[in-house]
Amino acid sequence: MADRKITFVKKILASGEPCGKCRDVEERLAAGGHWRAIDRVVVADERDPQSEGMRLAAELGVERAPFFIVETASKTVTYTVFLKFVKEVLEAATQTDDAQLLLAANPELDLL
Amino acid sequence: MATRSIEAQAVEALQGETAESVIADALSRFEADRIAISFSGAEDVVLIDIATKIRADVQVFSLDTGRLHPQTYRFIERVRDHYGIRIDLLSPDPDDVQDLVRRKGLFSFYRDGHQECCSIRKIKPLRRHLAGLDAWITGQRRDQSVTRVDVPTVQDDAAFSTVDHPVVKYNPLAGWTSADVWSYIRANDVPYNPLHDAGFMSIGCEPCTRAIGPHEHERNGRWWWEEAAGKECGLHGQNVRAVKIVG
Repeated sequence: MADRKITFVKKILASGEPCGKCRDVEERLAAGGHWRAIDRVVVADERDPQSEGMRLAAELGVERAPFFIVETASKTVTYTVFLKFVKEVLEAATQTDDAQLLLAANPELDLL
Repeated sequence: MATRSIEAQAVEALQGETAESVIADALSRFEADRIAISFSGAEDVVLIDIATKIRADVQVFSLDTGRLHPQTYRFIERVRDHYGIRIDLLSPDPDDVQDLVRRKGLFSFYRDGHQECCSIRKIKPLRRHLAGLDAWITGQRRDQSVTRVDVPTVQDDAAFSTVDHPVVKYNPLAGWTSADVWSYIRANDVPYNPLHDAGFMSIGCEPCTRAIGPHEHERNGRWWWEEAAGKECGLHGQNVRAVKIVG
């Protein structure tokens, strides 16, 4: 979806270590082949309240990390539940993309 | 690869058969609720005429894209009444349509090509419906378009089959010409879409279909703007991508 932007916000703990849940989500994004759908990765650093991720969390009223921001021309939606994000955003887009690929491979179908 | 669900010998044997024989074979080979005719609301009504003479309760579906001509919607109703059959109208996912229209407006196909819109309004609903069938029957003909010159009479449908669920596609009219279709319609007093009398040879969605001249190929009546548009676009898609960041 060319007019959609997805931002992945992950957290760095006060210890300087990445949060375990964020690492887990990153691994699941990679395993699912979803990284290419992510336009931008932003860090919410607990050591720096002014870090971009912390500011975004405050502005959007998000209290859990990691989270995803999905922006379209008409709205901005945040997801803090990874599976919901995958189902509603990534897989929905994938199905439409697949349908376009199917049509491209079988151009005779467009006359149906 | 999907498991074959129709023997190669049967496929071979049907290649030279009449449309009536092909449809009869299809309807005998699959359970009544596992095979259906795809009806576009155009001259493929011939399929329904032939099939209902073989089995009165044949399943029929149409892709209701939401953008068909009013005449086509009325014609679908007329066919339903004339043959006393049920016609399942397959609608696109409203979320998909809303998303497309919100992002690109109601006529994005004139700018970006018809594939995205067709994928949402036709291909996805079709794929969803075929997941519940083992076979389908289409009115595809080799003379309709350069994209259909290789359409066989029957085939394992690689487009919609999965490993667990093979789908067979019958194209009984594959070898027919447009003249053959109209000879059949007239000889059998088959009802037809009135748009044909207004110069429409190929009938699809209203914004993407137009009447053509007597010597034009029917494909010229669909997506006539795309060749010219394709010469100018394609390289610039990334340039217009939104880059706004919240905050």
